[in-house]
Parts: sequence; structure tokens; C-alpha cells
Amino acid sequence: MLREAVRDITTSFGPDYFREKARKGEKTNELWNALASQGYLGVNLPAAYGGGGCGIGELAIVCEELGAQGCPLLLLIVSPAICGTILARFGTDEQQEKWLPRLASGEDRMAFAITEPDAGSNSHHISTTATRDGDIYRLNGQKYYISGVDEAEAILVVARTGVDEKTGQGRLSLFVVDKETAGLTFELIPVEITAPEKQFTLFFDNAEVPADHLIGTEGDGLRQVFHGLNPERITGAALANGLGIYALEKGAQYAKERQVWGTPIGTHQGVAHPLAEAKIEIELARLMTQKAAWLYDNDQDAGEAANMAKYAAAEAGLKALNQAIQVHGGNGMASEYNLAHLWGMTRLLRIAPVSREMILNFVSRHSLDLPRSY
Amino acid sequence: MNIVVLVKQIPDPAGPSELEDDYTLDRNCKLILDESDSYGVEIALQLRETSGGGEVTLVSMAPNKEVSGIRTALAMGAEKAILVTDDALSGADALTTAKVLAKAIERAGDYDLVIGATESTDGYVGTVPAAIAELLGLPSVTFAKKIEVQEGKIVVQRQTEAGYDLIEAPLPAMISVTAGVVEPRYPSFKGIMAAKKKPCDIIGVSDLGLDVSAGWGQEILSVEDAPARAAGEKIEDDGESYLKIVEFLENKKII
Ligand SMILES: Cc1cc2nc3c(=O)[nH]c(=O)nc-3n(C[C@H](O)[C@H](O)[C@H](O)COP(=O)(O)OP(=O)(O)OC[C@H]3O[C@@H](n4cnc5c(N)ncnc54)[C@H](O)[C@@H]3O)c2cc1C
Repeated sequence: MLREAVRDITTSFGPDYFREKARKGEKTNELWNALASQGYLGVNLPAAYGGGGCGIGELAIVCEELGAQGCPLLLLIVSPAICGTILARFGTDEQQEKWLPRLASGEDRMAFAITEPDAGSNSHHISTTATRDGDIYRLNGQKYYISGVDEAEAILVVARTGVDEKTGQGRLSLFVVDKETAGLTFELIPVEITAPEKQFTLFFDNAEVPADHLIGTEGDGLRQVFHGLNPERITGAALANGLGIYALEKGAQYAKERQVWGTPIGTHQGVAHPLAEAKIEIELARLMTQKAAWLYDNDQDAGEAANMAKYAAAEAGLKALNQAIQVHGGNGMASEYNLAHLWGMTRLLRIAPVSREMILNFVSRHSLDLPRSY
Repeated sequence: MNIVVLVKQIPDPAGPSELEDDYTLDRNCKLILDESDSYGVEIALQLRETSGGGEVTLVSMAPNKEVSGIRTALAMGAEKAILVTDDALSGADALTTAKVLAKAIERAGDYDLVIGATESTDGYVGTVPAAIAELLGLPSVTFAKKIEVQEGKIVVQRQTEAGYDLIEAPLPAMISVTAGVVEPRYPSFKGIMAAKKKPCDIIGVSDLGLDVSAGWGQEILSVEDAPARAAGEKIEDDGESYLKIVEFLENKKII
């Protein structure tokens, strides 16, 4: 019923709305607010703070259904999935009281910043530092490809607060940094993705962050961040699955109707089989996504399943969209058929939140126990 | 104020549908809340909210203990439900349905108002609400588009071709509401979660003290496809074609 409710609300906006808003560089706040007002954006957050009291499994359903209606909302992966999860688990009472109700109701959004120009896939290597100075931390460094900074109230920033003497790796800590913090500036990165969310580079120049904005214990950031990254991967997978479902539905519909040799093009196996293959792969990816969500929500190790789900979903979603465009022939490129503009978003999900190569590294190393390459 | 709302659960009108051998609709599939009934649910919830208390009870008759549509209405905010489910009712006609629903309504406890839709989306018979009113001895107000509760009575705007009649009736009463007169709310996530725990009393015909073994007085002898829609008239726009539209609408008495 969750799925149906999200579908009903989302279809009252629809893919034309999403594309037109995104094209004009506008936000899809009407859709966001309609979902928020009925409690669908905070389904995974604790009920005591106004959330739905459920898990990532439910949030994944919301993400998938938004994708399946051609209205993918990227910030769900960031604000409730990563930031909400981390705050609910590690935040101080004050931080939880301040942020969780606002994230759960969708009235505020929080961005998440880990990626750096010189430390992309390698998060151990991040060089943004936070140095304690009395009641504050001073942040210095740079982050890039940070989604939704313009519409967020605050940013959850991963910074280095020291070095582990044994391993030489950075000791990480997490901070909730208000967007208005002095010493923090941000700059738009133009990207070829038709989406209401925009991407930014962040510059920290002695940005002063109150010490009580530190999440949990100093130096514990890596462990904390991993708690947020599995939900990120699972909801990212769900979004890709949803986009695949959307594309397949449109592709199959068109293949049933379009005739150029007197029969629907769907009768040609050259058209039908790639759609069937994509369908199988989407369903497999959904199953793995559900498994990962179940493991996560039942406090079991979800790392492998979440990575595999993200990999499979991104590949399957892309394949489905690709084939749906192909089935449409020239119309596949037409705006009114509402497919090609989703290419950027779907393609992105192979790169972010974690690239397919890094997942293959993870599976080689952890699932197959192969020697590490880096 | 306590309100009973009749909710029919029907095969998804967007999906394919099959007929049984006796030409009644095959209902052995997933059923959903009939959209026609969502308006009644919304009106009931609004009336309960303005009255400041009471309960909205859903009454439904459906095969296979189907509760999907009931859960939707519970998620919108109704308090509880009674479902009559019985193989003996398969293919029941409108009068039998009304008898069953009337008995089920009596089990709902004290009520001030019974609300139904003007007609269901899968059957379009449109006699059930009036039949129930007769069986329960209630005043029957049909085609309601707006309902206001005053001391011991209701004031209803009853839709007509020309506009609406204003009708007063003492409570309790049976009202059928026209589709589209309110905007049914979307269930909230909390509503969905709460709906799982709300009581739904599932009963059979014998629990109602009814005996339907003699069947009913209706038999469907044949079924035909609805006539295909005639092709529309195409008008080239010569700058004056709006006059043709106006004329068309006037002929249909729409304007
Ligand atoms: C639209 C968009 C939104 C984003 N939103 C956010 C956000 O909100 N917050 C945030 O923190 N980040 C965000 N990112 C960043 C994203 O997570 C990174 O781009 C991604 O993790 C890859 O890092 P990178 O770009 O530095 O690539 P690099 O790490 O430079 O990798 C480049 C290529 O090399 C491959 N590669 C790297 N190392 C290895 C290896 N060891 N073995 C094999 N292959 C390897 C990678 O797979 C990739 O193909 C976003 C990115 C985009 C494009």
C-alpha cells in the first residue's frame, strides 16, 4: 500500500512535470512537499522524532516508486537515507532533536559531503581537515560533486581530525555544518543531468564550526559514515531499479503499439528479447536490493548485498533505459516521450554513490578473498 | 458522530477483467477500493472531524476475505471495518447485496449516518443505497454533492441536471454521494502503518442470520460488448471554429 500511495501522489505530477522543471533549472518542490506532508520522506526515521519508524526497506520502496513514475528524487538518497541514518544512530540528543524532526517532515534537507577532488573513490585519503580550537573546529579544504547544497539547510561533512599512527590513514570525524557558516562558500558544477538537484564544489577556508556540531566521538567518523553508506547504496539501487521499471514499461508499451511492417515491432525478437533480458535483470536487482535492505534493517552485515544491489541495479537500469530508447527509434530522442532526459541520471548511478569498479574491487577483495590491488 | 461508509472492493478497472460462466465479473483477483467510494470515505472523515468525535466504520462485501481496499480506507482514517465474505454470495444481485449490507450495518452499533456511492464502478446498478434505506427504514437522500450536519438533521445539496435541490432529512439517514464532489485525501504513511492494526471483523452470511441458499431473482442471460464509440467530427480551424464548439456544447445542454 506504501507503493500505491507514493505512486498515486507521484503520478499526479508525472514525468512531464519532472522534465520541464528540471530543464528550466527549477526545483520539484511541489512533489517533494506533497510526499513530505503525508510522511513519505521520513519513513525510515524514528517515530519519536516524527518519522515513520520503519526502515531502509520502506525508504527504498519510496525511491523505487519515484523512479518508476519517471520522477527520481536524488536528495532522498542523501537527506533521509545517509544523513538521517547517521544522525539517528550517532547524533547527540540535541542534534537529534534539532534535525531529525525537520528531516523526517521533509521541511529541511541535509546534504552530504565526502568526495574530494584529490580523494574520490579513496575516502581514507580525504584532506579536508578539522582542527579543534577551544569551542570550535576550523575546517579547511575542498569537497566536490556535493548534491543539493543550494536547497539544504546544512551539510554533513566528513573531515580529517588526525592520523592513525599505526596505519598512517586519516582519522575521520563527522560534522553538521550550517550552510551559512562563515568561511564556507560553494560554487555550481554544471552537469549534463536533467534533474532538479544541482551539484556543487564546497570551499572551507577556516570555516568555524561549533564543537557541539561534531557527531558522536572525534575520530570515529569512518565507522559512522559506513552506517550511512549502506542505506545510500540501497536507496541508490532502488532509484535505478525504479528508473528501469519506468523505461521498460514505456518500451514494452511502445513495442506493442508501433507498427512499421504490418505487425507491432514487439513481435520481432530483436526488439522483444533485449526488453525481456532487461526485465529479468531488473527483477534480480530488485531482489538483491530487498535482501540488502532486509539485512540492514535487521542489524546484520549488509555491506556485500548493498554493494551488489547497487552494481546490479545500475547496470540493469541503464540497460533497460538504453533498450527503451532504442525501441522508440527516433522518438526515443524526443522530449515528449520522456526517456532520453533520464539518461544522465541513470548513467550517473553507475558512477555514484560508489562506482562500479569500486564495487568490483570490494567483491574481489571481500567476497572472493582475492589479494588487494591498492 | 458515528458514520458507516459502504466500500466496495472491485477488480482494478485499469487491469484486464474476465467474466464467470454466469456472466458476473470474476472477482478472484486482487481487489482495490472502488474510487467511487473514496468520496464517501472522505466526506465521512470530514463530517467526523467537524463534529469533533465519533467513529467511521466501513462495511464491505467481497470474496476471499479481501481487505486490500478496506485497508486503503482505514489508512485514510476510518476506525474499523466489517467485511462480509462468503462463497454463497458469489454472483449475488443488487437486492441480495443490499440485504447483506443492511444486516452488516446493524452490527456496526449506533450510527448517525450511512454513506454510499451513487453507483459502483464495476456494476453500475445504482440501486443498493436506496434499497438499504428501505430495509433499514431510513430516509434516503441520493446524488449528494454537499452534506452539512445540523442539530439532529442533515442538509444535503442533491445534484440535479439544472443545479441542486436542498434537502433536509432527520438522522439517522442513508446518503449516496456523487463521484468527484470532494478531493479524497492520500493516505499518510502513519495512516498506512496504523491501518494494519485497526480492527476488521470478517464474517459470513450465517453470522448475519441470513439464508441465501434459495439464490436470488436475477439471472444474466447474455452479455454484449458496449457499442464502439462513433468517430468524432473533425473541424478544420478557420478562426471561427470556437463557434462550432459552443454550438456542440449548447446542443448537449452543457452550456
Ligand atoms: C551528479 C553527482 C552527484 C554526486 N553527489 C555527491 C554527494 O552528494 N556527496 C558526495 O560526497 N559525493 C557525491 N558525488 C561524488 C561521487 O560519489 C564520486 O564521483 C564517485 O564516488 C567517484 O569518485 P571520483 O569522481 O573522484 O572518481 P575517481 O575516484 O577519480 O575514479 C575515476 C575512475 O577510476 C575508477 N577507479 C578509481 N579507483 C579505482 C581502483 N582502485 N580500481 C579500479 N578502478 C578505480 C573509478 O571507478 C572511476 O571509474 C556525486 C557525483 C556526481 C557525478
